[in-house]
Amino acid sequence: MADVVRVVAADDPLRALFSPAGELTAEARSRLGLDAAALRELYRNMVLIRRADQEALNLQRQGELGLWGQFLGQEAIHVGAMTALRATDWVFPSYREFGMAMVRGIDPAEMLTLFRGLSHGPWDPRRYHFAPLAIPVATQVPHAVGFAMGCRLKHGDEVVLSTFGDGATSEGDWHEAMNFAGVFKTPVVFLCQNNYWAISVPLSKQTAGSIADRALGYGFPGIRIDGNDVLGVYAAVAAAADRARQGDGPYLIEAVTYRMGAHTSSDDPTRYRPESELEAWNAKDPIARYRAWLEQQGIIDEGTVAAIADAAESAAQAMRARLTAMPTPPPGEAIFGRVYSNPPESFLREREEFESSLEGS
Amino acid sequence: MADQTFRLPDLGEGLTEAQLVAWRVEEGGRVDVNTPLCEVETAKAVVVIPSPWAGTIHKLHARPGASVAVGEPLVTITAAEATQAEATPGTLVGYGPGAPESGIRRKARTAPAVTESSGDVRAAPFVRQLAKDMGVDLTQLTGSGPGGRITRADVEAAAASPAAASSLAAASSPTTAAPSTDGERRISVVGIRKAIARQMVRSVSTIPQFTEFAVFDATNLMAAREEGKASGRSMTPLPYFIAAVVKAVRAYPLMNSSWDESRDEIIVKQPVNVGIAVNTSQGLLVPVLRGADQLELTAIAEKSAKLIEGARAGTLLPGEMSGGTITVTNVGASGPVETGTPIINPPECCVVAFGAIKPRPMVVQGQVVARSGAWISISVDHRIVDGALATEFLTALVSELESISA
Repeated sequence: MADVVRVVAADDPLRALFSPAGELTAEARSRLGLDAAALRELYRNMVLIRRADQEALNLQRQGELGLWGQFLGQEAIHVGAMTALRATDWVFPSYREFGMAMVRGIDPAEMLTLFRGLSHGPWDPRRYHFAPLAIPVATQVPHAVGFAMGCRLKHGDEVVLSTFGDGATSEGDWHEAMNFAGVFKTPVVFLCQNNYWAISVPLSKQTAGSIADRALGYGFPGIRIDGNDVLGVYAAVAAAADRARQGDGPYLIEAVTYRMGAHTSSDDPTRYRPESELEAWNAKDPIARYRAWLEQQGIIDEGTVAAIADAAESAAQAMRARLTAMPTPPPGEAIFGRVYSNPPESFLREREEFESSLEGS
Repeated sequence: MADQTFRLPDLGEGLTEAQLVAWRVEEGGRVDVNTPLCEVETAKAVVVIPSPWAGTIHKLHARPGASVAVGEPLVTITAAEATQAEATPGTLVGYGPGAPESGIRRKARTAPAVTESSGDVRAAPFVRQLAKDMGVDLTQLTGSGPGGRITRADVEAAAASPAAASSLAAASSPTTAAPSTDGERRISVVGIRKAIARQMVRSVSTIPQFTEFAVFDATNLMAAREEGKASGRSMTPLPYFIAAVVKAVRAYPLMNSSWDESRDEIIVKQPVNVGIAVNTSQGLLVPVLRGADQLELTAIAEKSAKLIEGARAGTLLPGEMSGGTITVTNVGASGPVETGTPIINPPECCVVAFGAIKPRPMVVQGQVVARSGAWISISVDHRIVDGALATEFLTALVSELESISA
């Protein structure tokens, strides 16, 4: 057993960057290679996606969206991970990765059409290298591994980021994907956003051991890090992606964070989780914490903070205006329009039948 | 300047109605986009609805406590600017007006219920578990859900009705009364009433509690009050009660603890956060005096007075009504009540009730004399504390109260 641990550890460029508790070391923090503008950009993106997230929840409460799943509190992971990747690297998200998609450059108003029932696939995955949101739990993990295997067969240098929550690690799909990734040394960075709650089931009731340590059983390294430190997440994903790009295979990062909002707009967390828990995590808010650090380093001042808040406010208003002005597509186009590039005859007949069934209704 | 009516949207994937808990705005008031309009409670959650438009509140269409169907008008807003009138007319998503009861799915759900035998209970597994936990017999209930299904609210209402007369829970004013054909009135249970009901059911159905009584001699307490009054700081007996409870807790820390059911452990709490039972127009509220063990008597007096005032005015924040570790209730404050059997405020271990201080015959050095005195009763969680320890705590409390000096 000890041998296995040693072999894996020798192959682990992340271990040296973090303290045993998962905190980015001061030395690693000073060698990130990010200039002041890049450090400010991380802050700006976190503020932008949090404000957009709040606006999406408002829109749901106003009957403009059918459903919304907030990612409040997880902004450091969204922004840190996306900033660490190249634009050509692929992302296979779960359903809470709206912030990641925004950082990748996808129009947030377009994205929300999914939750408004206007579209089944609002963006072209190939244009943004960003797969559709996966609503079923953990189904995107084998997709990511399979896609990464394809990248290797084509001799590409893309890395695939597979992101999921703590609950997903209880699924069979997750195990199968991890096993394949280990056996075939696929270029995948597995990023677990451990936010402690799988809807109303706490981590303690469905996971007995460490999530990060499970990677050893699949033959690759894993690490548990502070997911509320945007620089820590950036450093971890960058190092794991480099390693994967060099052909050294997958890596599992367990980023510890907290779902500060409800599971979705249909959920009431006050029914199952103690208020004291939220209070404790409020004190670790990723944005407030990073802002304090930037101020201490003299990288950001009050004027910049206010300007960024204003920009986030207008971006949210613009998102609302664009979304609510969007026309409803004809139902036939919405349902059948983006399934095949060359639709087979039977599929076209089905569409015709569907469209004629709507006439007169 | 066009009027736009905002209709209740489907807030949670297939809901058909919501209950209005409270308005956050008034008719004639101005709102911006996203200004909180009201709180509603659906079958799934209590949610705040933000305004979809900027403008002036022209009309509120529902009263607190009323049920509003999805698609029914909630509020009419006079738009602030001409551009606002272009905003979308609400309820783009969900069932909307006219949709209920027409869908195939709905029919399939309702039809079998009619033919079902009375012994066949329709309830979701978590509702069955809840009923089991609360000791409610599902076969005795009539379900209010789709197809006669028994809901969580049905079970909670059934469990709450016998506990409604508890000494801790004050009577509430009815929020709304639906008309009924046979002279009965049905009162919607929302907001604070509902919270009290849940908390009390949780207490009596999960905590084996017993009560002990004692009488204390309040001569010194009254003398200290008189002396305080003379030097310009008037004080009710409550701060003295709180200070004495804190001192007695310091000697018996187990009284300031919680039973952790999930781990079979007792959590002994560090700060003493004293909950103060306050009767308000909305019902019983329990603001919490945090860190009472770090406060002098005058600070206890000032802070508790502020909390009580805030509770009555409805201005307390949720954080000021949570985190209590022991509760004090003054049952003698507003009537000739000598004492009572208070119900523990979960997850606490102990609640202390003080009766009215008044002159009563006491035996002092073999002679019957008139002295000021009052009853104290404590209810404690028997899983944590046995009778012997409760008696020691009560003895310490009496001794603290009797040895008060100015």
